[in-house]
Amino acid sequence: MFNRIALLISLFLPFHSSLADTTLSIAGSSTVLPVMSDAAEIYKSLNSAANITVSGGGSGTGINSVLNGIVNIGMTSRHPTASEQAKLAEKFEIIDIARDAVAITVSKEVIESGVSSLSINQVADIYRGNIKNWQEVGGFDKKILVIDKESSRGTRHVFAKVILGDAKARAPGASVISGSNNEERSIISRSDQAIGMLSYAWLNDKARGMPLKLDNGDTVTAEAKYVLDGSYPIQRSLSIIVAKKRTAELQSFIKFIQSDGVTPAIEKNGYLPLSAAASKLSD
Amino acid sequence: MWLRGWIMLSVLTSIALIVLFVGFLTHASLPFFSKYGVSPIIGQEWYPYENLYGFLPALVGSAWAIAIALIIALPCGLAAAIVSVEILPLRYQSTVNLGIDILAGIPSVVYGLLGIALLLPWLENNLDLLTGHSLLAAGLLLSVMILPTITRLSQDAFRDIDNNYREAANNLGLNWSQQLVAVLLPQAWPSIRSASLLATGRGLGETIAVMLVVGSIDRIPDPWYNLLTPAQTITSRIGREMGEASVGSDQWSALMACGLVLTLCVAVLSIIAQTPHKRAAHD
Repeated sequence: MFNRIALLISLFLPFHSSLADTTLSIAGSSTVLPVMSDAAEIYKSLNSAANITVSGGGSGTGINSVLNGIVNIGMTSRHPTASEQAKLAEKFEIIDIARDAVAITVSKEVIESGVSSLSINQVADIYRGNIKNWQEVGGFDKKILVIDKESSRGTRHVFAKVILGDAKARAPGASVISGSNNEERSIISRSDQAIGMLSYAWLNDKARGMPLKLDNGDTVTAEAKYVLDGSYPIQRSLSIIVAKKRTAELQSFIKFIQSDGVTPAIEKNGYLPLSAAASKLSD
Repeated sequence: MWLRGWIMLSVLTSIALIVLFVGFLTHASLPFFSKYGVSPIIGQEWYPYENLYGFLPALVGSAWAIAIALIIALPCGLAAAIVSVEILPLRYQSTVNLGIDILAGIPSVVYGLLGIALLLPWLENNLDLLTGHSLLAAGLLLSVMILPTITRLSQDAFRDIDNNYREAANNLGLNWSQQLVAVLLPQAWPSIRSASLLATGRGLGETIAVMLVVGSIDRIPDPWYNLLTPAQTITSRIGREMGEASVGSDQWSALMACGLVLTLCVAVLSIIAQTPHKRAAHD
């Protein structure tokens, strides 16, 4: 009888004792997610005892979840805001794992209609609602479907900082708000008149990167070459956030993330490993 | 004796849970209301980064979405109930019920995905819209989702009508449509009314399917009856932003306040839904 009661009671106890210690949880940026997910697979193949769960939610979610102790590792594709930074300061560490570019992304039909490049000012005017038709930038006579992202998303911060001048700037020209890279890409590829922002690893045939015309007259695209030489302006580090005080399992995984063993996971997803960026930049 | 104790315990637990939930929501949204007052409820701008928390666009969006849903689902559900109870022979009724139950059993995220895959492109192509993400799309999805509630409860309303009424109407020589309008509908009306109110409550609280198709942009339709523009509902806002708001922040508290407003709306509807039953019983 007593055993049964004990069993019953144990059902209601949160099981943070032995189980949770061997499970590492990761959440946050949907841009970093595929890398961490592949990295976790590689790590698991090396350590069969390891148990790692990876989920999305966006950079804001990643930072908050790790702050609130909901996950062991938060993924972020932007710098923490000042208020986030203040909370992270003492106890957490930000570790960069790769570099990435945010592409101005348009529907395939837009490029086919003759828009060959956009300047930063033109993109800004589109997001501010001053340019509303593709005709105004050399394309067909179709309205522009302007896709903005949830305000805490890393891609949004980096994009708005370069294009609109402030990571938190409003975009009054926006028609729709999307969340993850996946959601955004599906809206862009379903439409034939959309503009949005995507990590360049997410581009495909129907959602294409728009070449960006710089103030000096050069035209650059979101690809490795221009990211590495620093000429493509909308680029960023992809990072993870983790507590400074770690369990042995967590420490061992972090060590793996910082080693060369993770490079295949980064390259497979189209991002640039830091080692490549570092050697290229020092050239 | 045991049974009575058990029932009492269940009742008390339910009451305690309700008090706990509403109490928690109130407690969590109190910081927001004490800092910003109640004026944000009619505020038009929601920019958490700028400490602007206007509820109005989302309130209007929720109201429109549920209004569209009711306009469609109420006549359809009522018709289905009349056909299945008053016209179809008994053995076909179970087939109709099976269909309705399947409709009710489809998870809401599946409705959302169907909305993205079928409804949005259809709206874009047929109404020549910039994007199918709109109040209309949300309303159409909701109408299918609340249809089972309305149909099932209306069926019960018609089944509960004493057969004496039907016989008396027959003996008076009323034809079928006269019977329906003069006898059956007035008898069933109180239950149909509460069915609609319950369905309204369910529809107002629906999150994921609405979130995927409504566009999530905080803007009041312009002009106010333009249902073909993207908008925001209270639930879609909470769904999009809850993960990124850090616990205890103004934004978090504001979202809790949204939750509280929604809960109160649904609670009022449920209370109204209960009242006509009592009156009918006294008559």
